[in-house]
Amino acid sequence: MTAILGVRKVRKSYRMGKVIIPALRGVSFDLEESEFLAIFGPSGSGKSTLLHLMGGLDRPDEGEILIDGSNILELDDDRLAELRLTRIGFVFQFFNLLPKLTALRNVELPLTIAGISEKETLQKSREILKLVGLEERINHKPSELSGGEQQRVAIARALINNPKIVLADEPTGNLDTKTGWEIVQLMRKLNEKKDQTFIVVTHDPNIAEAADRIIHLKDGVIEGIKETPRRKKQ
Amino acid sequence: MQQGFELDSLTVIPGTLFAGLSRDRFYDYDVENISKISGVKAATQVMQIGNVTLYNSRNNKTVKAFVATAVNFTDFVEMFSDRFVFENDVHPTEYENDTIVIGHKVNYPTEDDIIPFAVANDTIILTLGVFNQTHFPPYYELNYSFTVGGTLQKKGTPGITNFDYWIFLPLETVRDIYDTLESDLIFVEVSDSEESERVAEEIEGLFPPYKVTILVPLTFIKQVDRILTIVQIFLMSVASISLLVAGIGIMNIMTVSVVERTREIGILKAIGAKSSTVLAMFLTEAMLIGVIGGLIGISTGYGLSYALAYMLSSFMQPQHQGTAFQTPETQKMTITPVFSPEWTALAIIFAIIVCIIFGLYPARKAAKLDPIEALRYE
Ligand SMILES: Nc1ncnc2c1ncn2[C@@H]1O[C@H](COP(=O)(O)OP(=O)(O)O)[C@@H](O)[C@H]1O
Ligand SMILES: [Mg+2]
Repeated sequence: MTAILGVRKVRKSYRMGKVIIPALRGVSFDLEESEFLAIFGPSGSGKSTLLHLMGGLDRPDEGEILIDGSNILELDDDRLAELRLTRIGFVFQFFNLLPKLTALRNVELPLTIAGISEKETLQKSREILKLVGLEERINHKPSELSGGEQQRVAIARALINNPKIVLADEPTGNLDTKTGWEIVQLMRKLNEKKDQTFIVVTHDPNIAEAADRIIHLKDGVIEGIKETPRRKKQ
Repeated sequence: MQQGFELDSLTVIPGTLFAGLSRDRFYDYDVENISKISGVKAATQVMQIGNVTLYNSRNNKTVKAFVATAVNFTDFVEMFSDRFVFENDVHPTEYENDTIVIGHKVNYPTEDDIIPFAVANDTIILTLGVFNQTHFPPYYELNYSFTVGGTLQKKGTPGITNFDYWIFLPLETVRDIYDTLESDLIFVEVSDSEESERVAEEIEGLFPPYKVTILVPLTFIKQVDRILTIVQIFLMSVASISLLVAGIGIMNIMTVSVVERTREIGILKAIGAKSSTVLAMFLTEAMLIGVIGGLIGISTGYGLSYALAYMLSSFMQPQHQGTAFQTPETQKMTITPVFSPEWTALAIIFAIIVCIIFGLYPARKAAKLDPIEALRYE
């Protein structure tokens, strides 16, 4: 398999006043095309930081993040925004939908930002909402949707631009076990159907087990990379 | 049939608004002296008699004239040639000492009248009131016969007098009737209206120790102009202050809105919005505030202008009420607000510009937000 994203000796620390908090202390691995990867680790181990770096939301202090062969450290803010718009889809723990917009409008947002025509935007958004099983609720606002439904909207929004990589930060962290499992299954289904690469950050071992590979992160370093039986089957 | 304000015509009237001896009557030599002043093109005196009754024996009709004016026809017609226009172009070949010329409103007292009270060559019996203390009773009425020389076209109020309500009689005849050599008003025509104030001063200089009042249209217009300028300056300063206050208000509202929507901005940036996109978003919002505010402002301004114009108009009553100058049509000067499309557009553009300028700071603040920080914001 070919690498779609490379993480090379990445270091990142945060400064809080005079204290420097190391979040990542030299992390390296390759993300393979169309794999479903879990980043697993306790709270504060640097999972979110790693995900943000891979998605071009932030830049590492040291090391390289390679997407399509180019190092995101060298891209300016506008190019990074473009990268996030066209190559990356984000799913967050707290859904992060715009509360005043309907499910449909929330899903349309990336296409609107990209300047896609209204007609195409509407058609694609309906399609993707159907794919995540929400065709009945497209005109509901986030507050009128359950947590699971909100996360489906967020997934639809992440997928609307047909990104190569979908990054999900604790997507089940705010859901009950059953709904959380359904969401992971949905992402798995989409991963297989559309051949998109998924990275799911979680501290729930059951969720991690649904992935092809699990990267175990602790205190900002990779403790181990484990291939699940699921992957071995392939 | 409103014409431009007659700027070259001054009116000398007896009395003064200020303290001092006042001159109550004019005489032939006053007119002669005034005529000698440089810049004076012509001067003519008139005598005015209130409330006269006209009877036409041809059709047995009676009308009342608000003001009967005794004039030196030759001079008067020349001075007011553009207002002294005869109906159907029927005008006297010669002004006799029994000629009467009838103003439009006297000839057609109501708007509905289509048949004139009189036409040229009709014989009119004029009833004049006379007040003579050597006579008993001191007030009595006399009837005189006049021949209509012509009737005037409707002219409205180009100056401060309205000929529509007047009838005109030969000055010599009226002086004989009243056995006097006096007159009540002197009309002065200046060659250059720009000089009218200087000429007015020189006319005043002829009368000391007595005082007279001179109505100078230019002065009147200048006064109106001055008042309007003061109003304008006042409104401009009010506008500038409100603009600043409004601008700061807009900045404040938008800054609060940016802070409140920090998380939303973070989301937008996370899903790929560039800083410039966020900036454009907030500036569009500022512009929208400008457009809406501008439209509200313009409609309010429209209403207020009418209210203000109405108020100013009621202040601008002519000074000489209860005299020949007061006719139903000279009672009020009206100010009509003018709304030009250019100024309206300019106002809206200005509102938008103000909103954009004051919206720039909060919009930049929003654009510069770090997506990760913004997403962590509770
Ligand atoms: N913006 C930040 N400012 C300061 N410290 C931070 C910031 N983000 C994360 N950290 C710190 O970095 C470490 C890793 O955080 P994070 O990547 O969020 O871990 P995880 O997602 O695994 O819980 C933690 O100690 C956290 O407190
Ligand atoms: Mg985290």
